[in-house]
Amino acid sequence: MEPHQERRVSERPLVSVVDDDESVRESLPDLLGEFGFAARTFSSAEEFLASSCVDQTRCLILDVTMPGMSGPELQQELKLRRQEIPIVFITGHREDAVRPVLERGAIACLFKPFNDASLLEAINLALHPK
Amino acid sequence: MNDLVSLLALPAIWSGGNPSQVLHTLLDAMVRMLRLELASVRLIDPVSEAPVELVRTAEWRESMPSAHEIFEALSLSLEGDGHKWPQALRKILGDREVSIVPVPLGLNAELGMIVVAAERADFPRQTEALLLNIAANQAVIGLQEARLRSRQKRVADELDRKVRQRTAELVAANAELQLQVAQLQQIPVAAWTILPDGTPDFVNQNWLEYTGQSLDYVQSGPETWMSVVHPEDRERASRSYWEGIGSGRGFTAEVRFRRARDGAYRWHLNRAVALCDADGKLLKFVGTSTDIEDLKQSQEELRITQANLAHVNRVTTMGELTASIAHEVNQPLSGIITNAGTCLRMLASDPPNVEGARETARRTIRDGNRASEVITRLRALFSKKSAATQPIDLNEAAREVIALSFSEFQSGRVVVRQELGDDLPLVNGDRVQLQQVILNLLRNGSDAMSTVDDRARELLIRTELDGDDRVRLSVTDVGVGFESQAAGRLFEPFYTTKNEGMGVGLSVSRSIIERHRGRLWAMPNQGPGVTFSFSIPCKPGDLTGDHNGIGRTPSMTDAG
Repeated sequence: MEPHQERRVSERPLVSVVDDDESVRESLPDLLGEFGFAARTFSSAEEFLASSCVDQTRCLILDVTMPGMSGPELQQELKLRRQEIPIVFITGHREDAVRPVLERGAIACLFKPFNDASLLEAINLALHPK
Repeated sequence: MNDLVSLLALPAIWSGGNPSQVLHTLLDAMVRMLRLELASVRLIDPVSEAPVELVRTAEWRESMPSAHEIFEALSLSLEGDGHKWPQALRKILGDREVSIVPVPLGLNAELGMIVVAAERADFPRQTEALLLNIAANQAVIGLQEARLRSRQKRVADELDRKVRQRTAELVAANAELQLQVAQLQQIPVAAWTILPDGTPDFVNQNWLEYTGQSLDYVQSGPETWMSVVHPEDRERASRSYWEGIGSGRGFTAEVRFRRARDGAYRWHLNRAVALCDADGKLLKFVGTSTDIEDLKQSQEELRITQANLAHVNRVTTMGELTASIAHEVNQPLSGIITNAGTCLRMLASDPPNVEGARETARRTIRDGNRASEVITRLRALFSKKSAATQPIDLNEAAREVIALSFSEFQSGRVVVRQELGDDLPLVNGDRVQLQQVILNLLRNGSDAMSTVDDRARELLIRTELDGDDRVRLSVTDVGVGFESQAAGRLFEPFYTTKNEGMGVGLSVSRSIIERHRGRLWAMPNQGPGVTFSFSIPCKPGDLTGDHNGIGRTPSMTDAG
C-alpha cells in the first residue's frame, strides 16, 4: 500500500488539510484519495507552515478557528509570503465571519458537516478556476 | 320720730349701692339729723384689710379735720375692746372742744367704727344715743348687704371673665379644629372614623372624591364602603373589618377600592386603630386608606425584573452552552458524513475497495459513538436526578465542563491547561450547580483575556486538597485583572467590568458555593490576571437553604 500511495503522490495534485479536529484529519484523506488527490494533514497552521508541503499544495482545506494561528491568519500569512494557495475554508461555527475570508480570495467556506460532493466541487473550483 | 323713719328707710336707698355710697348717705343723714360737728367712719375692709376712712362735717364748719386726724386724736382713748369705750368724751378737736361719741359697727366693732362729734356738752342725749345705735345697726345691715352684693358682683365678674376667657379659648380651639379638619379633609389619604358598632361616622373629602360616595350614604350603615371594594376582595375585607371592630383592636387590610374617576380598582392599605378615653373605654376607631397601587406595581415590576434577570442569566448560559454543544456534536457528525461518503465511493469503485470501505465504516461507527458520548454527557449534565446532593469527583466534573466548552475556548484562542490533583476525596454536592460554577469561572477567565494579544491566552484549572477535609478548585487567567479595590464588589449582583454581559454569573456562583458550605474568592496574580478559587468541604452534609431560588438548576425547558 505505502509504496503504491507514494508513487501516486507525485502524480496527483496535493490537497493539504489543516484542522485541529482529529476526526476531520482522519476522514478527509481517504475521501480526497477517492477523489483522486494526494492528501496531507496538519493539526495546526504552524505545523503546515513549517512543513515542506507549502510549495506543493495545490489546494488548502483550512479550518477557521484553531488554537494558535487561526485559518484567516494563515491565509494572510501565505499572502504575505506570496504563496497564494487556493483555500477552501471549513468551519463548525455557523457564526464565523465568512465574508471577510471570501473577500480575501478564498474559494469557498463549507460548514461542517458538509457532503462529499460540495467538497469536490469546491476543490475542483480551486484547481481549475473559471 | 321722723328721724327714726328716715334712718329705717336708709337700706332702701342703699339698695344696689356700694359700701362707700352707704357710708356717705349714712354720715350725711347723721350730721343733718343730730346737728353734728362731724361724723366719721373707719371701715375695715374684709378683703383688702386696708381701712376705709370717711368724714362728714357740718355745713357751717369752716375747717374740716381729716378722718385720719380724728381717729389719730381718738386713738389713745379708744384702744382695746369696743365694749369698754366711754359713752362720750370731751376733747379739743381743731379750734373747739367737742363731745365725741364712738359707735361700733358690729357687735365687736369687727366692721369698723363710726365716730360722731357735737359741740353740745350734753351730747348725746338718750334719744340721740338711740338714734346713733339704730343708725349704726342700719349701717351694719347696709354694709353687709353691700358687701354681699359686692362679693356677688365679684363672683359674677369672675364668672364673666372666666366665661369670656373660655369663650376665647373655645374660639381659638375651634379655629385650630377647623384647621385640623381642613387638613384632615385635604391630607393625601382617605381618613375616617368608625363607631364601636362598626358604622362609619366620618370620612374625609379625599374618600368622598375617590369613591364618589356621599357622606350621608357612608354614614347610613356599617358596610356602605363595601360597594367600592373589588368583588374578589369583599369577603376578606369584611372578615378583617369585623374581626378588628369586634376585638376592639382595629385592623390592617390591603384591599382594592374602585376609583370613581376612571373606574379603576387600586390597591389600598387600610389601617384602623382604637381611640379610647382615659378609662380605656372604646370611643371609636380612627383610620386611613392609603393608595399603594403604584408602590405595589413597582414592587411587582422589581420582582418581574429580578425574575427576568435570573431567567436571562440562565438563558444566556444555556444559549452559550447550546452553541458549545452544537459544535461538540457537529465534530463527530462531520466525520460520520465524510466517512460514510468515502465508504460509498470506495464500494462503488471498480474493483470495490472493500478493505478501505471497512476501515471508513469502522471510523463511522467510532465517530457515531463519539457523538453518543457527547449526548450522554449532556444527559448527565441536565438530568433531573443529578440535581440532588451526591458524591462528586470534582476532577471528572471539571473535565466534563472543559470538554463541553472546548470549542468556546478554542474560538477565543484560549488554551486550557489542567493540573488536576490525584486521589482527591469526593465532595458532596449538586453536580450540575458545581459544574455551572466551574463553567462560569472558566468563561470569566476566558473573557478577561479576550483583549490580550502580547502573551498566550492560557487558562489554568487546578484542583487540590485544601487542608484535611476540603477540596479547592482554582482557575487562573492571564487577563486584564481587576483593580484590587474592586475585589470586594466582584460578587455583587450586576457588578461587571465587562461591557456586555449581565454580571450575574459571579454572584450566582458564590451563592451556589455558599450553599455547599464553601467559599468563593478572587485574588490578583503576581503576574497579570486573576485567580478565582472555591473551596468546599468533603464531609457529607445537606445543602443549606435555597436562597430565593438563586442557583436553581436550569433544565432544558428553561431555555425555551
